[in-house]
Amino acid sequence: MEERQKATRRRRQVGKDGIKLKMILFGAMVAGVVLMAVLAPYLVPYDPYEQDLGNALLPPGGVHLLGTDRYGRDMLSRVIMGSQSTIFSALLLVAVITVIGSTVGILCGCHGGKLDALLMRVSDIFLAFPGMVFAIAAASVLNGGILNAVAALACISWPKYARIARSQVMTIKTMPYIAAARLSGSGAFKIVIKHMIPNIAGPVIVTAVLDIGTMIMEIAGLSFLGLGATPPTAEWGSMMSNGRSMLQTSPWVVLAPGVAVFLTVMIFNLAGDTVRDLLDPRQRGR
Amino acid sequence: MKSESLWKRIGLSLLAVTVTAGLLAGCSKDSALTGEKVFYYGDTTFNAENDESDVNPHNGYSGWACIRYGIGETLFKYSDAMEAEPWLATEYTNVDETTWEIILRDGVTFTSGRALDAQSVKECLEHLTEVHERAAGDLKIREMIADGQKLTIQTEVPVPALINYLAEPYGCIIDMEAGITDDGNVSGTGPYRATLVETDKGLTLVKNENYWDGIPHLDTIYIQTISDGDTMTMALQSGELDGAYGLPYASLPLFENTSYTISSCETSRSFFGVMNYDTEVLQDARVRKAIAGAIDKEGFTSVLMNGNGSAATGPFPTSLPYGDHTVTAQPFDLETSRQLLAEAGWTDTDKDGYVDKNGRKLTLRWLTYPSRQELPLLAESVQATMKEIGIDLQVNCTANHLDFIENGEWDIYASAFVTAPTGDPEFFFTTHCLDTSSKNRGKYHNDELEVLEEQLSRTFDIDERAKLATQMTQVILDDNGFVFASHLKMSIISGKGVTGLTAHPCDYYEITVDLDKN
Repeated sequence: MEERQKATRRRRQVGKDGIKLKMILFGAMVAGVVLMAVLAPYLVPYDPYEQDLGNALLPPGGVHLLGTDRYGRDMLSRVIMGSQSTIFSALLLVAVITVIGSTVGILCGCHGGKLDALLMRVSDIFLAFPGMVFAIAAASVLNGGILNAVAALACISWPKYARIARSQVMTIKTMPYIAAARLSGSGAFKIVIKHMIPNIAGPVIVTAVLDIGTMIMEIAGLSFLGLGATPPTAEWGSMMSNGRSMLQTSPWVVLAPGVAVFLTVMIFNLAGDTVRDLLDPRQRGR
Repeated sequence: MKSESLWKRIGLSLLAVTVTAGLLAGCSKDSALTGEKVFYYGDTTFNAENDESDVNPHNGYSGWACIRYGIGETLFKYSDAMEAEPWLATEYTNVDETTWEIILRDGVTFTSGRALDAQSVKECLEHLTEVHERAAGDLKIREMIADGQKLTIQTEVPVPALINYLAEPYGCIIDMEAGITDDGNVSGTGPYRATLVETDKGLTLVKNENYWDGIPHLDTIYIQTISDGDTMTMALQSGELDGAYGLPYASLPLFENTSYTISSCETSRSFFGVMNYDTEVLQDARVRKAIAGAIDKEGFTSVLMNGNGSAATGPFPTSLPYGDHTVTAQPFDLETSRQLLAEAGWTDTDKDGYVDKNGRKLTLRWLTYPSRQELPLLAESVQATMKEIGIDLQVNCTANHLDFIENGEWDIYASAFVTAPTGDPEFFFTTHCLDTSSKNRGKYHNDELEVLEEQLSRTFDIDERAKLATQMTQVILDDNGFVFASHLKMSIISGKGVTGLTAHPCDYYEITVDLDKN
């Protein structure tokens, strides 16, 4: 009996070490990608916006590692520069929806009553729409531009966070430590800040980190449709869209930003999974 | 039990066979089953956005569909040199400045069965000038007299280009007795007649058994509107289409050196920018000149259009007697442009890369639209060269471009336009450059041009008209109120075994009696 318990404990320890190792690995990768985005203007080998029609559509190799596009712009420089608009807007988007969604959720959870019913019905309405369709409609009403794309996606993505935060708040609202805090004279604001937020942060953060990859895809998707970044801004989605007609003749124009989106989304998703394993052990292995 | 499962198996097998047969029948083209000759043609232009919503020549630009797809024909047609030559008419006489006698061809019938005579042409043109503002403005018909096969047209004022105007797609002769159906279908005299007209989707055409000029080779033609060029490329590659018009330039190399045939031709479709004279900065001639000199026309044409066009000087291609070889424009020279801006007081004092004056950065709004694939490319290319001379060009490429024009929210408007659709130069000036022009969007005005137009409108001699047109072109080029970037070379691609599908300088005649597929 004791042997078996020991073995289980050992296995758990190994699992924990594995997760830590994974966290360090993927954390470093995420840091690398974000650093690339931050330092993009210093990393690019050429000006990503400088046209040179004499060197248009050069295949990868030589002085242009990833080739050039139809305007003769260096693809590597554009992909690096593009990371800035794509990743930053995804991070901004996730930050915005996390804050707004959680605030609404906490408000509903704590206050309850009519306000809760009203806000939750509103979030139901947003959840009932097919997300991307609503985003496309909203983005076209807002008339394009990457910030408008972020706004459009924020419109449809906040209710998920509101739901999570609300259900968590509902669970801990009745906990003895909240009652104790209230009895010892803490005001509602203090309880929320000191006791509720730290206790609901786990699931919210896990959802947020897992969402970054999806948001990168959706922002790139809107830009691909011409509703996000506008030319000549280097943005992965719009770069792919502009190169679409050259898929058969000059595939690198589409492949370079395509692979960039693929790798980035994968890194953020793997990192997200690891964060979930670390913060939410119940979900581990699922 | 056993027999039950046997029946079940037989039933299932039968069902599988039927479904498979159904699927295969659905996939195969109709021709495989009936032995008919069927042709599938992809086109980007047959849609309402293009003002080409049906095949009724008396409705907007729908005459283009009527003539392109071999449904209607005009009294005169354009030769490759864009000169009007007889088609449904056999000859004409210019009796005096305002009277024209046109003799019609014998033995031509409409698809409705009615014979073509002067009375039917008169009815058609009367209806045209009644409902079609542009046609009425061009033709200026006062009265028509029909006498057998002889039609006499009297105009209100001298219209020297009347014969050219009659060859415009709106001049397709249709039978007004048979009328125009609710879905915009008509009875023409062409080699094919439409049996189904679906706006934005396409047309179904069948052969006209009684065609006057030979026997059409194909039984049925499906015209399919495919607005996305890449989709059309793939449809042509997979064999779903037998011919296509309007493929992206980037796709053309895919069809070179294969069993496909590419027919290309220089046209008078020009891509050009119009300056908005309401914009204070653009009222300065030096600024306009600087902008005109900062457009890399050669690079745009040879690289971005893959050589499917020629760099433009003025509105007309060199193939026309009053074309680019007769005029000069500000050449592409960034250094001169920088100097011109400096002379006008625009210098980069705050070292942000853009020129400024009185603390204001030089920012201009370039308005264009995406349905012509070249226009977004031009915009991005110009944006880069403008940046080099210090102008911050903000591109607004939108399908709602006309709303922005209406609201005056633009500084330079780039569009594509067929400048000599009738082979005659006057049309371009009357549409774009005069005080009375319907499309004079930038409020351009030049006294000399107005005087020259007055002369042109009264000149019948073709050489004299060409000379005047050259002078007028030079006037608008010297003002830099219009900047011409490129003339389009258009291409039609035919699939394997297709013959008789050729591009034509005027962009009108696509499906003709010669079209065949083997």
